[in-house]
Amino acid sequence: MRVLSQSLAVIVMNVRSLPSRLWMSLAMVIASAVVVAILLAFLAMAKGFEATLEGAGSEDVAFFLRAGSGAELNSNLSQEQVNILANAPGIVAEQGKPIVSAELYVIVDGVKKSSQTEANIPLRGLNANGIALRKGFELVDGRMFRPGTDELIVGQGVLNEFDGFELGQTVRFGQNAWKVVGVFSTGGNVFESELWADIKVLQSLYNRGSTYQSLRAKLAPDASLETIETFIANDPRLNQDVQTESSYFAEQGKNLQYMAIFGRVISAVMALGALAGALNTMYTSVAERAREIATLRAIGFSHVSAFVGTLVEALVLSTIGGILGCVAAFVLFDGLNVSTLGSSFTQVVFRFQLTPDLFLQGVIMALIIGFISGFFPAWRAARVPVVTAFQSGR
Amino acid sequence: MKDLYLVYKNLTRKKLRLFLTSFAIFIAFLIFGAVTALQGALNAGVEMSADNRLVVMNKINFTQPLPYAYVNKVGNVDGVDKVTHANWFGGYYQEPAQQVITLAVDSAHYFDVYSELAVDPAALAQWQANQSGALIGERLANLYGWKVGDRIPIASNIFSHGDGGHTWNLTIDGIFSGRESQTDTGYLVFHYQYFNETHTYGGDSVGWLILTTEDPSLNDAVAKAIDANFANSAAETETSTEKAFNKAFIEQIGNIGLIISSVVFTAFFIILVVVGNTMVLAIRERTGEIAVLKTLGFSSLRIFTMVLVESFLLAFVGGLLGLTAAYITVEVLSGVFANFLPNLVLDQDIVIQALGYMLLLGLVTGMIPAVRALRLNIVSGFSRD
Repeated sequence: MRVLSQSLAVIVMNVRSLPSRLWMSLAMVIASAVVVAILLAFLAMAKGFEATLEGAGSEDVAFFLRAGSGAELNSNLSQEQVNILANAPGIVAEQGKPIVSAELYVIVDGVKKSSQTEANIPLRGLNANGIALRKGFELVDGRMFRPGTDELIVGQGVLNEFDGFELGQTVRFGQNAWKVVGVFSTGGNVFESELWADIKVLQSLYNRGSTYQSLRAKLAPDASLETIETFIANDPRLNQDVQTESSYFAEQGKNLQYMAIFGRVISAVMALGALAGALNTMYTSVAERAREIATLRAIGFSHVSAFVGTLVEALVLSTIGGILGCVAAFVLFDGLNVSTLGSSFTQVVFRFQLTPDLFLQGVIMALIIGFISGFFPAWRAARVPVVTAFQSGR
Repeated sequence: MKDLYLVYKNLTRKKLRLFLTSFAIFIAFLIFGAVTALQGALNAGVEMSADNRLVVMNKINFTQPLPYAYVNKVGNVDGVDKVTHANWFGGYYQEPAQQVITLAVDSAHYFDVYSELAVDPAALAQWQANQSGALIGERLANLYGWKVGDRIPIASNIFSHGDGGHTWNLTIDGIFSGRESQTDTGYLVFHYQYFNETHTYGGDSVGWLILTTEDPSLNDAVAKAIDANFANSAAETETSTEKAFNKAFIEQIGNIGLIISSVVFTAFFIILVVVGNTMVLAIRERTGEIAVLKTLGFSSLRIFTMVLVESFLLAFVGGLLGLTAAYITVEVLSGVFANFLPNLVLDQDIVIQALGYMLLLGLVTGMIPAVRALRLNIVSGFSRD
């Protein structure tokens, strides 16, 4: 009980005297705030990537590309191959018609709002099945394109990041003019970085005859990819790779994940630097008060109370810093829309997301900083013999 | 000499503090060096572009092809000196992850237009005569240990070979190098004609044209003339300087690079502020000692210099170590990422910038206590204790 009340007294004393050590306290707060803000910035970025790419694919959609092509841009499929694949085992059919979507993927230029330079946007040709296969699809404005016309619908991400795709606008790609008739959302994932139009129109405008680049098919619950692979291997006319749509996007996300890993490494290294700064600050601050602490111990305060008092001081400062860091990260980064070059060579629009669990991580980080930078100086303060502390002056 | 000894003693009186301070500075400069080098690598293409070189692309997007006939038509535009063309092959070696940047080019003029690439005339002549031959860049040759005379299978993730499969067997006829160290030589070129005859998808189209103008002042006029020439045709063109094209390509990677680097630079400065604060306070602790020195007859100016030297030493020891570590990191990374970032180097400019910041750190953290020491009145110096 005595230890507790003593510790409490020291804590109160230390915390109340913080303002008189303004620069030291401030330095500690800032160091902790920086670490937390950087950490949160990179976590928010990674979270955004995750939502954009990992949220894109479905487990129950089979995705076919030409063998070895790796991405839609490089792939191609003929009408004949599409017809054969549509009848592969395990693909769901409704009223005798398999639910498949053969799609075309061409790259067009759009002007980025942020830099006013041209950047690659995917223009996808697809049919009604293709739209139905996208989970979370929703028209947020306007209407669907009519098959057989030069109408297109624009993803929310494209609308946010690029100029000239507002509803009702006419956009020109080379010789072809398209009318924007709708805006769609797919819940924030990568499809929102695309423009969608009717597959037949796209094939004819881009001289693709009856070729496609990818095929999506609805899988029956009991379907297995191995059966489909065997089916492909047994037919000499086919040369496709098959995987679930979600594994395709997980693969595509790897490039972006590298950026997130890079961010983590940088923030970890920076955190080490800031931690050294914080530790240094606490040591200096404790050293300045060596005599004061020795006095307390001379008049009967225990080791423990000196230790706890210093540790709690560090924790209070780092927590204040951590909260400041969270606020700064939230103000600067939450909801920030950015776009970058994805692995299909087109712009992927994503959004920094600061979710409550990230704030929790930030505060935990702050507490760790406070603990490490408080523990060692506190240990020293509690252990130095009283006489030595008085002799050394400071 | 005695003064330096005193400075040394002052610095090392608290070893832990010396270590922590130097370590924080070390980290700050390590990150600074590495991130600045990374930024430089991203921008290198822009700086290396030739003034009088233009690129002609399909207006829809540079991934869309242009008809082969455009090569001659562009060549006839006034002000165009030389013109050549290239196709993206989507090449890889053995497995898709091992990308080998491969271009199918016009063997007659490619090396005339890219005059910064040096290739032995005999090797060039041999390549031009060998239909299934290839020339490879020095960096690529080093990466895979390929030598002249090697026969290498290069597969394409886009095209199929007329004989079946996706693999083209190419013989290395020579190795080209850059006339400057930053020139990118991490790619392979082979004959467009051979490519055009052997692949099965479409034909007689080129990826993009590269041309030189007779004089950089003609760039604008030439670009306009070319685009006007193909306006309202099936394949409209967009002509821009090589520099503008490279710049736009970097913009595609976009503001994310900007965000990362601004976060990092903010952190860099804040770490310096935090460290600087302790450095200032560490010297202020010694007010009493400075008063003793003054009593012993040390001139104010001498003490002023000693304090400044101390903080400069601290800034430079940590900073230079950090910069060295950054240099090593960049060297290692440039080996690993040779394919994506061919120009990852920590060059002179970065070193000069970093030295500037170290100087600034030493000056700011030293100046405050040094001026205080300079003005310190002995009596008040003792009474503070």
